[in-house]
Order: sequence, then structure tokens, then C-alpha cells
Amino acid sequence: MLDTYAHMIDYLALSIGHGLLAVAFLRLALRDGLDIDPLLGGFKRRNAERRKVRRAKRAPKGRR
Amino acid sequence: MLGFVFLAFVAFVALLGLKRPFLWVMLYIYIDIIAPQRIAWGLIQNISISFLAFLAAFGGYLILDRKEYIKFSWRQALLALLLIYCFWTTGNAEFAAEAQTKWEWVWKALFFAIFLPFTLTSRARLEAMALTMVLCVGMIVIATGMKVVLGGGGYGQLNFFVDDNSGIYESSTLATVAIALTPLIWWFTRFGTVFKPHWTVTAFAIALIFACLLIPIGTEARTGLLCIAALAVLMLRYTKRRVMFVAGAAVLGLTALPFLPQSYYDRMATIAQPSGDESASTRVAVWKWTLDYVSARPFGGGFDSYRGNSFTYEMPITEVEGNTTSVEYKKVTDEARAFHSSFFEVLGEQGWPGLAIWLALHALGVWQMERIGMRWRAREKAGHIEEDEAWIAPMATALQLASLIYLVGATFQGIAYQPVMLMIIGLQIGLNTYCQKIESALAKEARDTRLSGKAARKGGRRGASEQPPQSGDTVTA
Repeated sequence: MLDTYAHMIDYLALSIGHGLLAVAFLRLALRDGLDIDPLLGGFKRRNAERRKVRRAKRAPKGRR
Repeated sequence: MLGFVFLAFVAFVALLGLKRPFLWVMLYIYIDIIAPQRIAWGLIQNISISFLAFLAAFGGYLILDRKEYIKFSWRQALLALLLIYCFWTTGNAEFAAEAQTKWEWVWKALFFAIFLPFTLTSRARLEAMALTMVLCVGMIVIATGMKVVLGGGGYGQLNFFVDDNSGIYESSTLATVAIALTPLIWWFTRFGTVFKPHWTVTAFAIALIFACLLIPIGTEARTGLLCIAALAVLMLRYTKRRVMFVAGAAVLGLTALPFLPQSYYDRMATIAQPSGDESASTRVAVWKWTLDYVSARPFGGGFDSYRGNSFTYEMPITEVEGNTTSVEYKKVTDEARAFHSSFFEVLGEQGWPGLAIWLALHALGVWQMERIGMRWRAREKAGHIEEDEAWIAPMATALQLASLIYLVGATFQGIAYQPVMLMIIGLQIGLNTYCQKIESALAKEARDTRLSGKAARKGGRRGASEQPPQSGDTVTA
């Protein structure tokens, strides 16, 4: 019985796997956080803001 | 027809890669694991899709991808060192032609493992990498599991997509990789963001894990059974209700026993009595030969150095005639017997320096994942982590378990340079680097807060005692 269905099973497994991979890749391609990590990006943004505030504090008032 | 479907899928991912070049890295992983050019016939066999995908992945990263968070880690240095050392031993190999053949795929796998962590710069990318590996191995596992359920199986009897018993399509290798990936499959049921936690994801994960557990049964790979045992023992550390877990595993095992074929019992019996099986009985002899070999050549004999071995031993041959069972001892001479162990494979091929590098690579991985797991669990207990960090410790644990199960399987088969396991090393390095970046950013934030606090206090004290004129006032005055 298995010989009869072996190819059908292979095709089914390949279809499931390729279908899920296709959906996953599509979702990843449309996602914002793929190239820039939101968490690390958040640290970077906060760091830049802090630097800006520090620079502003250090700068003489007349130059602000 | 199948070839066109594969080509259409490759073209689809290649197109998506124009928007996100990182997907070309995933395309290479897919081609490296599944090997569609070996499954289908026709056009796909005439195009070197593996090479093209590698060029796209590497070129896409160099030209188009962001290189903001790159870091060269110690483990990448170890991989590079192993690559250079393998290159040197290949040049001095005892069996030059055979060594060259193995070198041609080993260098690619090692090079890709060095390159991969540079691309894994975000949580989404780490997850994408894990998901691609799980789904690619999952395709082979689903097909094999279904065939086992429908009554197929037996050592060397099951047909996978590719019928050449090499790479991941070798039954013991597949069993080891499948069991090693089970903790990572479960991780997706709780922390996946591509396929978010849902009962359908959990149902698929349970079915896939069940299929993974069927691989050692269907292929009758003894190593797979040892990997399942190792997984069960390792899981005890992370299980809250240990007694329930042990009882459940025992019940599951006992329930499965009546459904197993006699051939499975016969083959598993050779784990305890290796003299009854050629493959098992020669293992110890090859390992002894390897130790003698490296005592004469401590820097190894290059890839495939096992081809120089030859030994004669007595093996019991059991014959049953009616009610009489006779055991006859026959002299068997074996030549060019493979190492049957990754530890001895590396030792025989790359000598003591190569083994030291390989062991350091894996030991460092297990330790790093342990450290990440402990730190993030401690932070979670202290209430210091947000939802977007809760996935880190479980992923580190899943990758540590994958490494440990691989090492158990690798003890009894020559899979030292198995590309899927090198990809897991790449994923571990990527996760470790990602966590280091978070820790470094947190430390910087804490330092800045401390400094600004100190400055405020200092300013406050000055204000109370000295009352100096402010710098801004002097300028504006």
C-alpha cells in the first residue's frame, strides 16, 4: 500500500512545507522589523536623544 | 512538472529578495537542506541554483544589506581557524582525491556558518532562520513520518525525497537533526511572530514533533533512539512536574511498544550487544585504530583518512534451523571502515589541533546558551524584561538542547561538518551577538542614568554651597 501512496505523501509534504515557507517569506518581506530590530532601534533612538539633551545642556545658553 | 514548481518557488523568493536581500540567505538555506535540484528532473538540474543562491545571499549582504550591528565573535574565529586548518590538512592529505571531494562541500558549510551570524541582526531574522530550518527539515520529516504511520520503515528501507543516503537524507543524520530540532519547534508555539501563537500552530507543532519522534522508529536508526533518550533526560531540567513527565514518557513508551516491528527490537538489541552487528562491532575497532593513527600522525591525515584502515575480527553469525539455533564465529576483514563518530572523524582527519578547535566550538556554544538562558531568566524573575525579550531565554535553551542532542548523535556517526548543525551554530552565534548588543545598550543606559544622576546631585550640592554663576549667564550677560 505504501508504494502506491509514497509519491502522493512526498507531494503532500512538499506542498505543506513550500506553502508555509512561501507565506512566511511573504510576511517577512512585508514586515518592518526585519532589517531594523525594534528593540535595538529603540535603544539607539533613546541614546541619540540622551546625547542631544546632554549636548544641549553643555552648550552655552546664548548658542541654544 | 515538479522541477518547474521548485523553480517557481525559487523565483518567488528571489523576487522577494529584491525588497529584502536577507531572504536570499533563507533561499540558500532552503536549497542547501532540501536540495530541490536532486529531487526533481529537468531544467532545475541544469542550473547551478545552489551556487546562484549563495552568490545572491553573499552579494546581497555585501552590496544591499545594512551592516549596522556586525561583530566578529570568538566562535566565528574558531570556525575560520577550523576552515584554514582543514585547508592545510587537505593539502597534505593521505588520500588526496577523496579529501578534495569532501573539502569541496565542507568549506562551503564552514564558510556559510561564519557568514550567517553577520546577517542575523534582528529578532525577526533570528526567527526567520529558525523557521526556515524547521520547515525545510519538517518537509522531510512529515513525509517520512506519514510513511512510517502507513506501515513503511526498516533500516535503509524508507525512501526519502532523495534516494542517495547522503547529507541530511542519511537516516541516522535525519533522526539526529529531527530530534535536535524538537525544542525549537515547540518554541514557535509560544514566541513565534511570523506565525503567531494559535491553536493551529500548536497542533502543527505537536504533529511535527510526533513525526520527528517517529524518524528513529521508521529508519531503525539506533542513534535516533539514544537522541530521544538524551532529549527526555535533558527535558527533566526544564520540566516543572518531573514525576508527571517521567510517568507520561513511560506510559507513552509502553503504549508504543506493541506497535513496533520485530526488526526494530532486533536492531535496538545491538546497542547493548554490539558484537552481533557488523556496523556496531567495528565501531570500537575503528576508534582504537584512530587513536593509534593519530599517535603516529598527531596533525591528522586529512579528510577521509579512514580509508587506510583494515582489521580482522570474529563476528558471531546466528543461524536458525527448525528448533535449533547455532552460532558460528566467522572471521571478517573490514577495510576502509568509516569513523562512525564525529569525535573520531575530526581526530583522524584533523588530528589533535582540529579536535581541540571543534570541541571548543561546541563547548563554547553550550556555555554561551546556558549563560544567556540564566541571565534572561534572572532578569525575568526580577521583572526587568518586557514582552519583546521574553523569547530570548527559551530560544537559548532550545539551541542548547539542539547542540547537546547533536553531540549525543555525533558520538556514533560521522557528522562533524553536517551543514544543518553548522547552521545551528550560526544561529547560536547570532543570538549571542544580539544579546550582547542588548546588554551593552542596557549598560550604556544605566551608566548614562548614573552619570546624569551624579551630575544632578553635584549640581544640587554646588547650588547649595557655592552658588557659582551659570556658564550660560556669563555669556549672555
